[in-house]
Amino acid sequence: MLKVTSLSKSFDKGKTFALKDVSFSLKDGDVYAIVGESGSGKTTLIRLIAGLESPDNGTIEINDKQVSSIHKIVSPEKRNIGFVFQEYALFPHLKLVENVMYGISKLKNKEQRANEVLELVGLFELKDRYPHQLSGGQQQRVALARALAPNPALLILDEPFSNLDAMLRAQLRNEVFDIVKKSGVTAIFVTHDTQDALAVADEILILQNGKLVQKDAAANLYSKPSSVYVASLFGSTIQLSKEIQSAFECPLKTDCCHAIRNENITINDECDYVTHATVLKKTFMGSDTQLFLRLDNGEHLTVVTKHNHVDERITIGFNSKDVLEFKE
Amino acid sequence: MKEAGDNEIFSIKNRLLRLKRDSNRWSLITLFVVLLIALPVLTIIFELFEGPGESWVHIVKNLLAQYVSNSVYLLIVCSILVLLFGVTTSWLVSRYEFPFRKQLEWLLILPLAIPSYIVAYAYAGAFDYGGSLELIQRYFGMEFTRIDIMNRFGLAFVLSISLFPYVYVSTRAFFLNQANNLLEASRMLGVGEFRTFFKLILPLARPAIIAGMILVLMEVLNDYGAAQYFGVHTFTTGIFRSWFSLEEPETAIYLSALLLVLVFALILFEKWQRRKIQYSNERTNTERIYRKTTSKRKQFFIFCIVITPVLFGFFIPVAQLIYWAVLTYSSVFDYSFLMLSLQTFGIAFLTATVTVVLATLLIFSAKWNRIGFIKNLSRLGVLGYAIPGAVVAIGVMIPTLALDRWLMDVYASISGNTTGFIIHGTLFALVYAYAVRFLAVAYNPIESTTLKVSNSIPDASKTLGVGNFKTFFKIEYPLIKTGMLSAFILVFVDVLKELPLTLILKPFQVNTLAVRAFEYASDERVMEAAIPSLFIIFTAAIPVIFLNKLLVRK
Repeated sequence: MLKVTSLSKSFDKGKTFALKDVSFSLKDGDVYAIVGESGSGKTTLIRLIAGLESPDNGTIEINDKQVSSIHKIVSPEKRNIGFVFQEYALFPHLKLVENVMYGISKLKNKEQRANEVLELVGLFELKDRYPHQLSGGQQQRVALARALAPNPALLILDEPFSNLDAMLRAQLRNEVFDIVKKSGVTAIFVTHDTQDALAVADEILILQNGKLVQKDAAANLYSKPSSVYVASLFGSTIQLSKEIQSAFECPLKTDCCHAIRNENITINDECDYVTHATVLKKTFMGSDTQLFLRLDNGEHLTVVTKHNHVDERITIGFNSKDVLEFKE
Repeated sequence: MKEAGDNEIFSIKNRLLRLKRDSNRWSLITLFVVLLIALPVLTIIFELFEGPGESWVHIVKNLLAQYVSNSVYLLIVCSILVLLFGVTTSWLVSRYEFPFRKQLEWLLILPLAIPSYIVAYAYAGAFDYGGSLELIQRYFGMEFTRIDIMNRFGLAFVLSISLFPYVYVSTRAFFLNQANNLLEASRMLGVGEFRTFFKLILPLARPAIIAGMILVLMEVLNDYGAAQYFGVHTFTTGIFRSWFSLEEPETAIYLSALLLVLVFALILFEKWQRRKIQYSNERTNTERIYRKTTSKRKQFFIFCIVITPVLFGFFIPVAQLIYWAVLTYSSVFDYSFLMLSLQTFGIAFLTATVTVVLATLLIFSAKWNRIGFIKNLSRLGVLGYAIPGAVVAIGVMIPTLALDRWLMDVYASISGNTTGFIIHGTLFALVYAYAVRFLAVAYNPIESTTLKVSNSIPDASKTLGVGNFKTFFKIEYPLIKTGMLSAFILVFVDVLKELPLTLILKPFQVNTLAVRAFEYASDERVMEAAIPSLFIIFTAAIPVIFLNKLLVRK
């Protein structure tokens, strides 16, 4: 339903690109997450999709209708895209129900529709309050209701949980996406937190330095990451340099780049590749313990283990099936 | 990180395609408003090519040196005096506790309510033979010693005492918002108050001080009424002389151009002096400000220092005017005077409305246009405030005259009859010129309230299917209307006080309180000028106090 082709955007006339040559397409009714560090271009991408920015190159199509190109730009108010802003952007001088009715003023049964979506987000009782009388989580749900009221073709959520504390975050995340799933709308949400993406997205798009590096279902991203960067988004990953390879005596192909996930390194000698190491320092981290190791060939390595009691001298190893291989 | 293909994205062809895509009616409207505001200056530059008038050589030979030396003298002496008045008072009220401090804090702004030329009339009268000073001295049985202030030092004093609040306001804002932490840090390091002030606070406050000072100097160059009354020849009086006495517009234009050079030099100096200084973000400082309490004797001493500029800048001239008003009210205060006041308020109301609408249009059309350089260009719209009123007036008069001649020709060729001036000499030209000069006055408060509304609020409205224009009325207007109201009040007051531009452009049958006061003073009937002056002062004083309340609340 959404098709993006070679999208590029620069804010300094081509010196640097906030977004470079990004192409992908999305299916109707799915939930997508865009993951990336700050500055990776995620906000630029969704603002381009919403029509709040105009691209320097490339095209955007919504339901086979071109909305952005170098020749034409359809203004945001004509795109039928719902947008939930990071800071919610509720209209401070309007009551909740007026906020929700704002986008459907031309509808005959706007009051009924507004009540319906407020019911959906569970805030019907508070409909005559003003935004400043609500908690952060409630404001978030009003913003969602307001965006859903006009039945958008696509719903975009910009860092929807970044303003909430950790406890509230997990709870609200599930609530919000229950509502999104119930409404059946295609949704894109932006986050810098991989956990959010894994919890609710059907597919995840990973942006790095303005480029789309991988787009896939969560399980595939985990098993077949396209780069060390993608792999490291799912937990700490150790790059297997030549020196480390020689310590474990695991000659791997030289035209590739290899890495191993931290959780796949174990303290025992029944692995495909093993080496002896001296524990230099142990840091207690609750359920885990972080170990600073010196391998026998002098290389240093940091691993995290579930074992609480570790000897001075240990044997560590990993299996060849867990080695991640990247062409770089 | 440039890659192959980047050059293609930014090829001239693609740039033009995007320019075409991104241009909308708001780009055109922004350009139109900026051109409208810039037209007077552009006119003056173009008219320079027409060559100077016959008297130009005479003026260059005999008068120019005087204009330059007087104007530069005024700039220098006023700078020193406003620094002395403005910085001392702002430092004392923000660092020390003393009797009536709170009242004095806003009283120090009041001199801004009195136009400089009115202060000039009051002092000239008070110091003259038979004036208040002589009466007081005789009352105490003293010999009358006349102090002559009708010279350029007197003028500099009068201008400084009525304009120093610009420096006071900007410097006090700095002292209140930012100096507190620095002072505490410095005290913790064991550095004394006096050294801290000169080594730490003063250098850091420099941009704020100079920003206020530049506003003062713009007003000094703008002044006509006071300089003319004191008989000091400056650029502005020179422009009036060439225009009205010599009837040589070309010469007036050449003088205007020279004055513009001086103004732009000031602007460049201001930009240069804060080239590297980043203003820290305006934080609302909610902490209690620590003020020093000293001995009673010292407190009284500080009180005397702080109240002196208020006395000289407000109470003494107002007392003199009230005294004159009591003597003359029966001959001045009549039906026609009431009509004159109504007319003045009407013009001020109309101008304030037009200017607020124009400023809002400029701010929002620049926002809604999608082309970067047009957005930057919109800042040029605020330069009008730097340009002296007399120069704006001449820059407006030339194109309106030309447009009228053209309109008359068109009218004649269509109807066969002739018509009089349509724009020139009408309210239209006057209001237009005011709008050029006071656009910045309206622009700043509206812009600052607009910046407080997060961009995502109008963006949210747009993604909900509501266009720019409707979003403005439904969402932005309710959120920025206080800014628009203060913009309206500020322009209203500035129009009441304005003299040189009004003198040149006012329609024949129209008059304002300021012009009436000027006419009385020029006719050697300065006592009669008191009532129109007091009308201006009391109307202007209300928003000065009102806006200070806003400032304090900030």
